[in-house]
Amino acid sequence: MANVSDTAGAVGHAGHDAHADRPDFMQHHFDTPTQQFNASKLGMWVFIATEILMFGGLFCAYAVERGLEPGIFDEAHHFLNKIMGASNTVVLLFSSLTAALAVRSAQVGKRNLTSFYLVVTILCACAFLVIKYFEYSHKFHLGLLPGHCFGHPGLSAAIQNGQEVGTCLHVDANAAQVMPEWVKAVDEEGHVTLLPPRANMFFGLYFVMTGLHGLHVIIGMSILTWVLVKNIRGKFSPAYFTPVDLGALYWHLVDLVWIYLFPLLYLVGKPE
Amino acid sequence: MAADHSHAHDTDDGAVHVHIAPTRFYWGIFGALVCLTIATVKVSYYDFGSANILIALLIATVKASLVAAFFMHLRYDKLFNTVAFLAAFLFLGIFILLTNDDVLVRAHDHGYAQKMNLESGQQAPGGEPATSATADDVAGEGHEGAPSGSAGHGEKKE
Repeated sequence: MANVSDTAGAVGHAGHDAHADRPDFMQHHFDTPTQQFNASKLGMWVFIATEILMFGGLFCAYAVERGLEPGIFDEAHHFLNKIMGASNTVVLLFSSLTAALAVRSAQVGKRNLTSFYLVVTILCACAFLVIKYFEYSHKFHLGLLPGHCFGHPGLSAAIQNGQEVGTCLHVDANAAQVMPEWVKAVDEEGHVTLLPPRANMFFGLYFVMTGLHGLHVIIGMSILTWVLVKNIRGKFSPAYFTPVDLGALYWHLVDLVWIYLFPLLYLVGKPE
Repeated sequence: MAADHSHAHDTDDGAVHVHIAPTRFYWGIFGALVCLTIATVKVSYYDFGSANILIALLIATVKASLVAAFFMHLRYDKLFNTVAFLAAFLFLGIFILLTNDDVLVRAHDHGYAQKMNLESGQQAPGGEPATSATADDVAGEGHEGAPSGSAGHGEKKE
């Protein structure tokens, strides 16, 4: 505080308070920009740790269910499209690259380049969600969604001869020659397959894990948009780019989670 | 110009100095990540038994490490940030291991790991092979796919 340097001219309201000589991005409870930067980063990393633990609950559920009934995962994962999943992986990896480059541009003070990379990152996030939309709607169409249509005794989301795909049939277990708890569906290779009774558990995990991840994609897009607006308004400089850095960290976290979700959901199990 | 500006605020020790990697370096990391993605997809078409998931997780961990170390700058950050990050995985590991140690060593309830249609006794694909007499007879009686599928999956397991 007593450390008054000769920068009064740089700050319009000299004498406004005792902190007039401090950079305007610096909060009053920090001594130096470095201290503020390091504190922000540590806070972000602790937050990332909590995010990992939140997803961890789902990964634990996945481990338990897969340990109990690995056959379900072998059967059911053929209903996920590896190519779409891999495309989404590459899209997310590319968006992570552009997020990292946005931070780099902010570090060296290239404001327009930072904006450009942020826009590319947000567009990649949109592309990810569009691909995800096609995957989800395909599974809804097949009836592979969590809910009363799937796996409930006496009800079957079925493809029967002459019946429409994905309709929710009521099955009379005594009269009909259909298997009440089994579900028929067409997998990605076009084979009509019987899914095990609790295959809804796999798709439940699929939808909850990718759904929570998708929510993070949307939140990440919002954060990056906010950072983009602040960047366009010229709030950042090589001396202060913390929001760009932390926003990118959040986006990399989204990428990290997907890096594990993709093989665990799309690639596990025995190949046919 | 920008550098001058930051020096204007006194602080020879206080200004933020970070490691700035060249753009090409980030592109190189991205290339490695894409190669690993292609590799993990290719590998998934081969059957290595239970090693498949280990290979998939190993590749995923290499990819995650690249992202964390370089895209997220952990490599050049304060060490304590890495400690906070890895602590999450440590406790996640404890969580998953102990939970599985509980669940997977329990005696299996009827109808839990053994999957069958309670109406007909048909055994469903997947899960543990039936041990009781309930799923004895139905092979061949049912409709296309189901019983043969059941037998096939029984064999495929181990």
